[in-house]
Amino acid sequence: MSYIEVRNLKKNFVVKKKREKGKLLREKETVKALKDLSFSVDEGELVGYIGPNGAGKSTTVKILSGILTPDDGEVSVGGIVPWKERKRHVKNIGVVFGQRSQLWWDVPIIDSFKLLKDIYRIPDKAYEERLGELILALDLEDFIRTPLRLLSLGQRMRAELCGSLLHRPGLLFLDEPTIGLDAVSKLALRDFLKWENKEYGTTIMLTTHDMEDIAALCSRVMVLGHGQKLFDGKLPDLLERFDTVRNVSVKYADGDPCLKLPEGVMTKKTEDGLELSYEPAKLPTAQLLSILQDAGNIRELTLQPENTDHLIAAMYKELDL
Amino acid sequence: MNTLRLYIRSMGMLLRSHLQYTSSFIMQTIAQLVMEGGEMMAVILIVDRFQSLKRWTGGNLYFFFGMMAVSFYFTELFGRGITGDFPSMVRSGRLDTFLVRPRGVLTQVMCAGADPRRISCIAVGIVALIIGSDLSGIVWSPLKVLVLIEAIVMSCLLILGLFMIEAIFSIFSVKSVELVNAITYGGRSACQYPIDVFPLALRMLFTVVAPFALTLHVPASWILGKPLYGWPWWSAIVTPFSGVMVFGFMSVLFHLALRHYRSTGS
Repeated sequence: MSYIEVRNLKKNFVVKKKREKGKLLREKETVKALKDLSFSVDEGELVGYIGPNGAGKSTTVKILSGILTPDDGEVSVGGIVPWKERKRHVKNIGVVFGQRSQLWWDVPIIDSFKLLKDIYRIPDKAYEERLGELILALDLEDFIRTPLRLLSLGQRMRAELCGSLLHRPGLLFLDEPTIGLDAVSKLALRDFLKWENKEYGTTIMLTTHDMEDIAALCSRVMVLGHGQKLFDGKLPDLLERFDTVRNVSVKYADGDPCLKLPEGVMTKKTEDGLELSYEPAKLPTAQLLSILQDAGNIRELTLQPENTDHLIAAMYKELDL
Repeated sequence: MNTLRLYIRSMGMLLRSHLQYTSSFIMQTIAQLVMEGGEMMAVILIVDRFQSLKRWTGGNLYFFFGMMAVSFYFTELFGRGITGDFPSMVRSGRLDTFLVRPRGVLTQVMCAGADPRRISCIAVGIVALIIGSDLSGIVWSPLKVLVLIEAIVMSCLLILGLFMIEAIFSIFSVKSVELVNAITYGGRSACQYPIDVFPLALRMLFTVVAPFALTLHVPASWILGKPLYGWPWWSAIVTPFSGVMVFGFMSVLFHLALRHYRSTGS
């Protein structure tokens, strides 16, 4: 059995509609947040969980972390049913909500950590050791005595991560951890997560809208839409499935040669040379490159990186999300 | 034991949080003093005008007032998480962060809220208790001291239990502030006077629904040497336990309600 097992998970929310004119009672509407969701995650995996807003990502994370009780289905995390044995379960998990702080607002963050030590009943020695390690890894030294409210968003996220990892959880949930962070902070955060995962085999499940997060971190990606799992596999496979058109720009040293290109390749002349768009499914990239190379003396060639945001937008559209 | 230590540390942290804003802390503490002092002025005026209220002397009235003030504001001092902050914890999703920690939710809610500004109200209450005791000529015995402490502790638990009604409703995102305030703040205002000056309906309300009469008036009357309804002495020890019963019952309901917690946003 895998570390996390989710089978036929269902969760509905009853939403009261606005009262219509002439009716005494408000009508109720059932929103199916999760319909029959199943998946499993092995220990030590780093899984990205994506989907448009309202797909059910947060609902899944909240059920897995013991906050919500599902309507139907089975969940087991390390053999524990989260909502049945909440306290035993949460001892071994860490949760970071991107938009919701778990630390105390007006006191230095070190004081928050000390209180967390008491909450999780961490022995003195283990606490000192782990705190020292996390201060180094997350570079907290400079602001550890600063109250949370005075920290920048990037510093705050690092502090939050430290707080949720002090008790060495085997499983870490991250709900949009890079939201609103600048490039440097994002990169540092990703490096840290990779390190934590490698060093301690911590299973990490993160929800995000940032495809870069997934590309940099996750060996596996799950796509959720309308409360159902739409894709589960490696990121390259996902990209391949929806990566239909790609661009190459090429500049020759001595004027644009006459290219003999197969059908389906669009060519556009620009000031900087040629821009070609092609379908990798019909014309493999390697083949195109050899045609370009044979045609003349290439000075510059850029394979445009696949724009994952566009890709995901295309995917959501194709899957009718 | 560990829970108690956690609670004390949390209180220390909350006090430090409050002291981050020193001047507003001092101003609000003084404001509380003025408000509670005003409440006491009302009692002083009654005593000054009428000398007594039915069978209760002025000193007796101060004693009742003091007991209610001490009980109510101790509850607000230590239980602010339940008496005031809980609905906003639900709305802001802060409750989520409690649910992912290996401690009781109620413990964490209690640890998350304290209102040190109430210290001035408690001081007013203690002054009233001393004046009341002195004027009423109470002869203190160890048993009477124990009954006084029991009555205050049980009244605190009762008040917490009553505020939990609001907490439970808020889990289902139903606002019940006005309804619940009628028996909490309303209970404080009414029950700082002896219960038997009120008409039957109010007496029933504060005996059966929100039993301040049992946790506070029965023992206080006995301490004053004027047993309520002529009940025997042991009733002063037994009836206050209705406070812990209300609290226990509400705790059970609270945990049942948590299973239906829906959380908010992402």
